[in-house]
Amino acid sequence: MLFQILSFILSFAIANHSQLEEVRKEFICSMKFGLKRFFSGILAVSFIAGTAGVLCSCRRGFGKDAEGKVKIVATIFPMYDFAKRIGGDKVAVKMMIPAGTEPHEWEPSTQDMLMLEEADLFVYNGAGMEPWAEDILGSVQNKDLVALEASKDIALLKTAEVHDMEDHDHEEDHDEDEHEHHHHGEYDPHVWLSPKNAEEEMTAIAEALISIDEENADTYRKNLEEAKKQCEELDGAFAEALKPYEGGYIVVAHEAYGYLCRDYGIKQIGIEGVSADQEPDAARMREIIDKVDEYGIKCIFFEELVDPKVAQTIADEAGCGTMALSPLDGLSKEDIDSGRDYFSVMQDNLKALVSAFE
Amino acid sequence: MPLILQYEYMQRALFVGLLLSVIVACLGTVMVHKRLSLIGDALSHSSLAGVALGLLLGFNPVLGAMGICIVSALSIEAIRKKLGNHSELAVAIVMSTGIGLAGVLSGFVRSSADFNSFLFGSIVAISGFEARLVMILSVVVLLLFILLYKELFYISFDEQAAAISGVPVGFVNTVFTILTAVTVSIAARTVGALIISSLLVVPVAAAMGIAKSYKTTVLWAIFVSAVSTIGGLVLSFYFGLKPGGTIVLLSVVFFLLFRVIGYLREKHSVKKGA
Repeated sequence: MLFQILSFILSFAIANHSQLEEVRKEFICSMKFGLKRFFSGILAVSFIAGTAGVLCSCRRGFGKDAEGKVKIVATIFPMYDFAKRIGGDKVAVKMMIPAGTEPHEWEPSTQDMLMLEEADLFVYNGAGMEPWAEDILGSVQNKDLVALEASKDIALLKTAEVHDMEDHDHEEDHDEDEHEHHHHGEYDPHVWLSPKNAEEEMTAIAEALISIDEENADTYRKNLEEAKKQCEELDGAFAEALKPYEGGYIVVAHEAYGYLCRDYGIKQIGIEGVSADQEPDAARMREIIDKVDEYGIKCIFFEELVDPKVAQTIADEAGCGTMALSPLDGLSKEDIDSGRDYFSVMQDNLKALVSAFE
Repeated sequence: MPLILQYEYMQRALFVGLLLSVIVACLGTVMVHKRLSLIGDALSHSSLAGVALGLLLGFNPVLGAMGICIVSALSIEAIRKKLGNHSELAVAIVMSTGIGLAGVLSGFVRSSADFNSFLFGSIVAISGFEARLVMILSVVVLLLFILLYKELFYISFDEQAAAISGVPVGFVNTVFTILTAVTVSIAARTVGALIISSLLVVPVAAAMGIAKSYKTTVLWAIFVSAVSTIGGLVLSFYFGLKPGGTIVLLSVVFFLLFRVIGYLREKHSVKKGA
């Protein structure tokens, strides 16, 4: 409808212009100016409308509740969840990347920058997950802001190690030549998918919080102890449940599970590389279908934030099922609202993995 | 049976690819002659606004995309008539409006997951439903193209003369504008926006390099478009290239080749004449 109205107005305006042009040819110059003004007017209006739209859709920032608390901006869901767990009621945490957004294709807006100006602590995963983090930290004026790369103490896996060795060369060519996420070329950023790494990241967050807010250090230490215990339990559950399937293969939407696979002795075959948003090529599809047949794989895992079409096509062809496996990088708003957190999603992942092997 | 045909997804890719390449070449010939060669880009971008609108207002986003595509295409047609010499501006204006609207509306869509899944199309991942949809679409487009062939030919040649001699120009234009809109909105989700917006133009441009009549232009355009699609899929299957990009690049190779042939032929005939 908007289109019709707009095109009507536009065509009307333009018709008037061309008529005038015929009548007063000597004023062509001034007419052009008029046309220019007309278009810049439209531009200005659409710009204002756009800004207004952005402003009302995401007016964010720390509200009054945050007063007296440590203000934390976390990038992705695991960072948000970890920071909340360690900080408890002493902190106010904001998640930078909105719920349900695939973080590989997200970039910060001016609103996010404003949020950082207000914050005390900025928690990002690092290892190439948020390639823009360095840039924005360079341009933030907030001198008191502490920036924490949560993965700083973790031994990172190189992307090449993550890939299934057989098609290592083949895949790497793609990663480097064809898509924009060069940062993915080096390390696999999905460290939090190993409970042991999650523990490390939470420890790093606790340390940063203690350095900012000495007063509540005991609370942070206590929360960390609790979280560590949960991580160890989760680790134990994974190790026990996956033990019978050691050496088994899983087919996943994108190769995010390198750390998890390393810890529990299983192998991943990614439909796409470490990055989530690539179109597969026909040869890669065939390779995967053949492998699914060869290894007798019963289930293709897809991610909620990536279109399951490719996974579905492969599953249809190979005659197996599909199931969701969450890399946790962008939980949907419904999931967060219903109280889902790192541990509950990881438990679900474990259930899905076990049922795929059974 | 060759390896490439042993896989169902490849059979589907080849079949749907072939169908689409034929009808897109037909529609492309009409659009290029109307100086609307960028209409595929404009429509596939505008369809984002339709997806966002569908998600926001709670109706099927695919229908939303189709609806917005039709409205956009008709707007292009309406604006084009008013602009005379600058008819290509119509495409730019509608494309800008579509992208702007999509940008603003997508700010209100909660989950980008929903949004993405309606934009993504890949020729190697076509569902059975999409394949059937493309079959129906192809039959409709081809039938209308053959039925209205004479009228289209006249309009492409000279729109005003056609109108004077009694061709229902408005009707024919509207029909083909709607057909293009529906094709782009379905094909963008099925095989990807890149393939569809390129195959609307490049094969026709290639054909115009060597063809000497309207009919041969159409036939050569179909040839280029079909061979590029099949060739691109075969290359993708055996050499692991991305299918969309390969198909488009192949059609560009045809364009260059046909232009060179056309040029040499012309030079030759000039010499002969002199």
